[in-house]
Amino acid sequence: MSLAFPRYAERSDFLDALRRDHGDGIVAHRTEVGEQTLVVTREALVPVMRALRDTHGYQQLMEIAGVDFPDRAERFEVNYCLLSVTHNHRLRVKVSTDADTPVPSVTGLWPVAGWLEREVFDLYGVDFAGNPDLRRILTDYGFEGHPLRKDFPQTGYVEMRYSEAEKRVVYEPVKLPQDFRNFDFLSPWEGPEYRLPGDEKAEPHEAGGASPAKATGEPTRVKAKAGPGDPKTTEGPEDTGAGEPTNEEVREDARDPVAEKADHAGGKATDTPSPETREDAPAQPRKGDK
Amino acid sequence: MAKVEIQTFPDERAADFEAARTGALDHNPGDDAVSNYTINFGPQHPAAHGVLRLIMELDGEIVERVDPHVGLLHRGTEKLIEYRTYAQALPYFDRLDYCSPMCMEHSYVLAVEKLLGLEVPIRAQYIRVLMAELTRISNHMLNLGSHVMDVGAMTPNLWLFEVREDTLQFYEKVSGARMHANYFRVGGVHQDIPESVLAEMSDWLDNRLQLFEDAMSLVVDNRIFKQRNVDIGVVSKDDALAWGFSGPMIRASGIPWDLRKSQPYEVYDRMEFDVPVGTKGDCYDRFMVRVEEVRQSARIMRQCLKDMPDGPIGSLDRKVFPPKRAEMKQSMEALIHHFKLYTEGYHVPEGEVYVATESPKGEFGVYLVADGTNKPYRCKIRPTAFSHLQAMDFMMKGHMLADTTAVLSAIDVVFGECDR
Repeated sequence: MSLAFPRYAERSDFLDALRRDHGDGIVAHRTEVGEQTLVVTREALVPVMRALRDTHGYQQLMEIAGVDFPDRAERFEVNYCLLSVTHNHRLRVKVSTDADTPVPSVTGLWPVAGWLEREVFDLYGVDFAGNPDLRRILTDYGFEGHPLRKDFPQTGYVEMRYSEAEKRVVYEPVKLPQDFRNFDFLSPWEGPEYRLPGDEKAEPHEAGGASPAKATGEPTRVKAKAGPGDPKTTEGPEDTGAGEPTNEEVREDARDPVAEKADHAGGKATDTPSPETREDAPAQPRKGDK
Repeated sequence: MAKVEIQTFPDERAADFEAARTGALDHNPGDDAVSNYTINFGPQHPAAHGVLRLIMELDGEIVERVDPHVGLLHRGTEKLIEYRTYAQALPYFDRLDYCSPMCMEHSYVLAVEKLLGLEVPIRAQYIRVLMAELTRISNHMLNLGSHVMDVGAMTPNLWLFEVREDTLQFYEKVSGARMHANYFRVGGVHQDIPESVLAEMSDWLDNRLQLFEDAMSLVVDNRIFKQRNVDIGVVSKDDALAWGFSGPMIRASGIPWDLRKSQPYEVYDRMEFDVPVGTKGDCYDRFMVRVEEVRQSARIMRQCLKDMPDGPIGSLDRKVFPPKRAEMKQSMEALIHHFKLYTEGYHVPEGEVYVATESPKGEFGVYLVADGTNKPYRCKIRPTAFSHLQAMDFMMKGHMLADTTAVLSAIDVVFGECDR
């Protein structure tokens, strides 16, 4: 039994010189699972990279990887994986940015950065100031959106097929015969943190939160929301989960076709109550339901 | 049937050409004014090694500028992996570089093992090295064969496909699948290799690999082959570093950089092998580096077969590596582990790693960000062909149009990996 992953040299001699010359630009330095990460500010990126390449022997830029953290103020991380073939060492330089702020390009230092930055731009929409050729690279001609953002659905928005009738490729909105099934395999007993959609404000470990609290000392008493004596209220449609009646407008049409036509001509809004107003309104039986 | 009308357009220089034909004009009027000319190469072209589209600006037959359009095989692998558990993500790696599937899996399993801090039994490490080197031979058979075919020779390709077919047979015997093996696992490999298959492999190395040497004897000293490759697409050491080259591409430029030697993973530090290095950095050097790598891979395979110890082929940590099926039928605990591993999977602790291995094409890296759940938060795949193909423009400048295929073959590009 032994560890199998690649083993390379350990090195930290460049840190002091780097801190001395670019002290303000270096936000953090950490070593995790044997890999060094240097977090720098956007302004300091190019000078730090130049120092790393010219003074500290990181000759190669192997990879630029974007990561999206939608919860952060600056949601995108751009990771530069550097390799030193003389010191046999790898270093990761990290900057963060948001969708609007450009990151200075390192194409002036490594020509290979051209495509790598194009890829991050294509997949995340991170702008690189100074890249001479910032076009999309991996996605289709005329693609819209940035597919590796966390808010971009896995299925995308358009699908493509060859139309025998039109004798060409046509693009259509995605139609799924079945929803994408994303199974939640996380075991509630082993303490994963549940972040349920719509539940962002709740602390997952609090009483009543999505993840059960860890058992520490005194058992926490969870107050039941509804006592046994409270009547169960499922009168309104919002309680049953039945949803909006879909054909209300059509039914109105059928009831008074002439007036309805006039309405449409005048562009008058229909009187379907929106979900917000329904929330406060007293539950009423749905029109049209027997 | 509608009649097809053929229209000819009057050319303002037609009179000059007519004069040159009758002898009234003493030079070729075509030489008077030549403007650059843009042609489209691919995306469906037998020499494109997949779906590559090149927009080439030509001055006569000299290439001035190349703009490769990649992404025609983009399948969103990285996005898909974010929605799969760690075990479910593995088969996607076979489909990246479909000419060397196991080497793709290799980087990924090592990345996950690094995050988990998981130890792997020695036998499993030997098996992985053995299969990775078999994959290297398999990959180079395809690349060397198609390289000679692209520059005009037919026979060596057919012979090398024989050898490649043998490697695929071994793939099938070991993993059950000819190409998309899905054989490596986090913590080991899926199944043990039977003793008989190991013996067969050893026999193959001794007897059958001679076919490769025979094929190379037709090519390497061939005058036409040298004319098509020597001094084509020369890359200096500095350029190779700046353009992010790796693998045979950087070694052909004279930098003895091999991750198996410099950053040994698995049991590569126990292996004896040489790293071939080129002298000029042209297409011929790249070809010859790969030829020598095949011999070195065979050498590593022999050492693996000789030294492979007995023992388990997967981690004994039952929270990560599933128990044997037979054990599962007997033991309740094994059944529970099996069920948990094939539904929920294992949780990988929070953290990020970049793990790169020496795939047949160069440095194939996986940058993995884990958030503590059973699915990767982000899995960035570092393809080799992406950087190499980007340098196409700079390598092709000033070369003839016909050299495109030689340069492209010497890159050894596969689009499943490049486009992900």
